[in-house]
Amino acid sequence: MKHLIVSGALALSLSISSTSAMERELIMPMGDERLNWDGFEEMADLGLQDEVLTIFGPWLGSDNNLFESVIAYFEAATGAKVEYSGSDSFEQQVAIDLEAGSPANIAVFPQPGLAKNLAAKGHLLPLGQDTEDWIKSNYAAGQSWVDLGTFPDEGGQSHLFGFFYKVDVKSLVWYVPENFEDAGYEVPETMEDLIALSDQIVADGGTPWCIGLGSGGATGWPATDWVEDMMLRTQPPDVYDQWVAHDIPFNDPRVVAAIEAYGVFSRNDDYVSGGGGAVATIDFRDSPKGLFDSPPQCYMHRQASFIPTFFPDGVEVGVDADFFYFPAFAEEDLGRPVLGGGTLFAITSDSPAARAFIDFLKLPLANEVWMAQTGFLTPHLGVNSEVYTDPTVRAMNNILLNATTFRFDGSDLMPGAIGTGAFWTGMVDYSGGQSASDVATAIEEVWKTSVN
Amino acid sequence: MENMAGTRARLVWVVNLSAVALVLLWIIPTIGLLVSSFRDRDQIASSGWWNALFPAEQSTFIRSALPETQIEEDGVFVISGNLFEGQESQGEFVAFGVNSRNPNAFEPGDEAPMSKGRTLTLLPNGDYRLTSPEPHVGSRGVRIFVTLIEPARFTLDNYKQVIFAEGIGQSFLNTFAVTIPATIIPILVAAFAAYALAWMQFPGRAILIAVVVGLLVVPLQLALIPLLRFHNNIGIGKEYIGIWMAHTGFGLPLAVYLLRNYIAGLPREIIESARVDGATDFEIFRRIVLPLSYPALASFAIFQFLWVWNDLLVATIFLGNNEQQLVMTGRLRELLGSRGGDWEILASSAFVSIIVPILVFFAMQKFLVRGLLAGSVKGG
Repeated sequence: MKHLIVSGALALSLSISSTSAMERELIMPMGDERLNWDGFEEMADLGLQDEVLTIFGPWLGSDNNLFESVIAYFEAATGAKVEYSGSDSFEQQVAIDLEAGSPANIAVFPQPGLAKNLAAKGHLLPLGQDTEDWIKSNYAAGQSWVDLGTFPDEGGQSHLFGFFYKVDVKSLVWYVPENFEDAGYEVPETMEDLIALSDQIVADGGTPWCIGLGSGGATGWPATDWVEDMMLRTQPPDVYDQWVAHDIPFNDPRVVAAIEAYGVFSRNDDYVSGGGGAVATIDFRDSPKGLFDSPPQCYMHRQASFIPTFFPDGVEVGVDADFFYFPAFAEEDLGRPVLGGGTLFAITSDSPAARAFIDFLKLPLANEVWMAQTGFLTPHLGVNSEVYTDPTVRAMNNILLNATTFRFDGSDLMPGAIGTGAFWTGMVDYSGGQSASDVATAIEEVWKTSVN
Repeated sequence: MENMAGTRARLVWVVNLSAVALVLLWIIPTIGLLVSSFRDRDQIASSGWWNALFPAEQSTFIRSALPETQIEEDGVFVISGNLFEGQESQGEFVAFGVNSRNPNAFEPGDEAPMSKGRTLTLLPNGDYRLTSPEPHVGSRGVRIFVTLIEPARFTLDNYKQVIFAEGIGQSFLNTFAVTIPATIIPILVAAFAAYALAWMQFPGRAILIAVVVGLLVVPLQLALIPLLRFHNNIGIGKEYIGIWMAHTGFGLPLAVYLLRNYIAGLPREIIESARVDGATDFEIFRRIVLPLSYPALASFAIFQFLWVWNDLLVATIFLGNNEQQLVMTGRLRELLGSRGGDWEILASSAFVSIIVPILVFFAMQKFLVRGLLAGSVKGG
């Protein structure tokens, strides 16, 4: 009997595995006039009917569903079949698959550092001059997106390997408008005002900030975003670039000053819920919940655009919670710098369908489908921003468009030993009470020994 | 003598108490996980599981009904209702407030003044009445800050979410499709090998055994990339046959070592008299050694089954990540979300995925107890 069940289950599962993936539905009908259908028809002529394209990326859950809704239009346009699979250990798995020789056609990298490593080992395929020219003329600040996606290959020759699609804004401060109203606080326009507001909240007996750095093996990363934001607010962008490229040492006084500027907030026991020493032990996913407590544990939380996922159930962004731009110092005269991130698509196994998919992402339509839903920002100049149905996302895109400087998350660009290693642990040490210069010197030592 | 007996009785007590203490220590995390699996996400975030069984004082805010439900009474605009409407929580209110700065300002029954001449009254049972000389406006209800004593509350939602998750049934079958062959194949191979290494004379036998023992200490992570590359080259990469082979390979050193030690301990007389009677090696293996080795086979089967069932690493690498191939562990990880923050799912999914291993364990437990001695005692 037992054998029967076992073999039955086996046969059943094998028979299910042979059936094809489910059909994806178009969220807006073909020819819908809210979308820009330029270039859509032409994709049918590529002769990709029944070609199979595999894509591997980090998106799971709701992000996965949103991306699938974009894929649906590619399938409708070309007749090709797309198999997307997501993994939360994307970074490790894509490296193993490439080393072993069984990669998907396209890999979706959450940050350029890893793509750079893999390109240097000869695992990525150049996207070509056409794509490079297209990005330069169709993306806002096109040259910078080309530069961010260009890495040296095995032989040291630089090519464009990564195509950016979907951008995130990190310089956001989240707050509860009704709490501000109750206490009579205004959204600050400058960093000086923000510090004055923090002092005001302390004087009123409240706690201004929730900060949490905990993230399992990645503990410390939220602080790296703080430091990068502070770097952009205390130094001109070219100093930021030199810092990220290691043209200036990590323990340069200007970097140390940026870490200390972060410390003004995080190491002040009056400013931080739970005290400055506790930030490394609070999980970054739990820390925004303090905004919604009664009485509020804190009034503000600086975090990237994804954080509403971790707000308590029922919180509606735009009403119950909102955000403002993490402001710049008025006295520094550095404009409105914005820190961001983005995902880049790279071809890991060549096929006509993979090339066609990159071309598909250039269509305004491929951006608008996701824009019409939620959580999608794009530097694409040809899209119709009227399709944003979510006012908060439109507000975020305005922060992006009003930026005088846009810089990519520096820790994502630094070598892995720093950007996903020493910088993180250094920030934990800094929370634990080490001085900023000691921490910066320790990171610099790692950078010198591990990279050069 | 009396003294000695007294010492012994006390010793027994000490041993028993230590055993109880150790069992408690061992089981407490499991109990915590079990309790957490019945609590919702906000409860897990706000208090420890040990508080779950008792009524708790909770501070929160609840919104009044929407302004569009207002009615006009004698020139005053009134919104009224009960705060528990549409809420999962129950309990008794002990304090309330209308401002986040002072959420405990009023006792139930008081009339709390608000801005623009509005007032709010709240009774301990949650009935409230919000009045205003002007019509209420806005798209949201007013926030009413409350402190309430909430009775213990449990939910089955976490289990519902895991059990009814899309594709969980498919993943369950996928895991069986991986686990059963990956348990049976290594046992078959290892039993033959163990017999040969224990009872057949051939040159290099001692070295072979040493190599097998040596392989026990090689971490399997070292082999992931070369093995997957090899599978890709021979055309079984990312398929079921590939992961069966991978699990077989990773399980074999332990299986061979365990079974060889057990089989080598069988009484020499039985095997030699069978030889004298003219039995071939295969007959000896099939008729004598195999039936005598059931405890060892069963104990290894349990080990291998548990290891493969719980495995995530080997499955994500040697099997695809798509809908048709995703195993249970991979599916549960997906449920945790892109950034892994849904702890409440973690607790309930742990108990869902534990069911099959527990059934297997109890079904084969009597073999396991004997089998644990495998190789350590002559004769078995």
